Amino acid sequence: MTKKIDAIFALNCSVNGAKIEREIHSSRSLLEFIREDLGLKGTKEGCGEGECGACMVLLDGKAVNSCLMMAVQIHGRQLVTIEGIKGKDGGLHPLQKTFMAEGAVQCGFCTPGLIIASEALLRRRPGATLEEIKLELTGNLCRCTGYEKVLSAVEKAAAKRK
Amino acid sequence: MPDIIVKPPNLKELWKLLPGLPSARRYLAGGTDIVTADNAGAEHSECWIDISGIPELLGIKETAGSVFIGSGVKIAEIAASKAARRWCPALTAAIPHFASPSLRNMATLGGNAANASPCADGVCALISEGAYVLLATKGGRRRLPLKDIFLGPKRTTLKKDELITGFEVPKRPHAGAYLKLGPRSYFGISKAAVAVAAELSGGAVKKARVALGSVAPVPLYAAKTSAWLAGRKLSAPVIEEACELVKTEVSPITDTRSEAAYRREMCGVLLGRALNSLR
Repeated sequence: MTKKIDAIFALNCSVNGAKIEREIHSSRSLLEFIREDLGLKGTKEGCGEGECGACMVLLDGKAVNSCLMMAVQIHGRQLVTIEGIKGKDGGLHPLQKTFMAEGAVQCGFCTPGLIIASEALLRRRPGATLEEIKLELTGNLCRCTGYEKVLSAVEKAAAKRK
Repeated sequence: MPDIIVKPPNLKELWKLLPGLPSARRYLAGGTDIVTADNAGAEHSECWIDISGIPELLGIKETAGSVFIGSGVKIAEIAASKAARRWCPALTAAIPHFASPSLRNMATLGGNAANASPCADGVCALISEGAYVLLATKGGRRRLPLKDIFLGPKRTTLKKDELITGFEVPKRPHAGAYLKLGPRSYFGISKAAVAVAAELSGGAVKKARVALGSVAPVPLYAAKTSAWLAGRKLSAPVIEEACELVKTEVSPITDTRSEAAYRREMCGVLLGRALNSLR
């Protein structure tokens, strides 16, 4: 009986605005799918247990940790990775600009996840307060720059987006 | 990772699929517990059954007498539900303490119960709400008080392939609170947590339900403290005595997260704060 079940899954989803169809092994993790199959290396693996947020992506507009999802779970849904975060003119996104202006990036490993988490918040709450920003970023760890510059970068982006 | 993941579109297809699957199989919902366990090398099933697309497990619905919360409902959805906010105040109060914002977009209430961790925030809160758990197997359904399905860490009374389809919270006007003590203010696993739901009338408790997390082998329903509070006015001496009583009901251990004596003491402190917030 078992042999009849196909381990290959025909995955349909949207990635950074483009529809894609891929045959994948059903037990492919979402993070592997993004990094290895799609070659989108902006999404990082940090802890592999949902603590650090380096692997965050937007799924149907909401932040999720791709290290704890399986690729089959995005079937029929819209995925946006850091590569899909852009400004209206196709250049840098306002959050990317304020991160640069505030010096909120050092080694950069946590930055894609922080931008994704911040963007998820600003879509919901365009003029988010500092307190809201702090709460939203509880799932993102940065081990070099620290948090003050990150918080002020998101605060500045929020003030512009109001 | 498992050899294979199957994704049935509905319950009927799920029951049809089961006999043909490898016997070492588990349900996959949000993935936040099972994938973590797999990444850590502690999960070895041959097959996962992705139930995240099964429509029967989704949605929060109000009936005349109760609120139904599907087992596949994401934790973040609960906070956005009017019915949950009105009828499940302790559960609503627990949401900000449940993991992180992104994990709340993934984790489900059903998974929180099936994983059977003594520290499960959603489960402790639901137990205080007097929730029932709805279970299904092929051709069979059961409805049990949620507090009764836990046997120990990671162990429940669920049978093989039995699926949590949802939870039912009886509609009773009541106040609720959820307080948790972790290594930091938010996004930490609790050292101790207290959920309280109380039906109040003129400053007196008609009925109270107290549940605690991380201070027993299971999410604990504090039966003695809950019964003792009934009929009493929430005065300072009553609250003080309830706090002493609850400390006799818990059986915390010393582990990497905290110490037994501290945890026991904090059960009293947290219950006191929770009851005071309802006065």
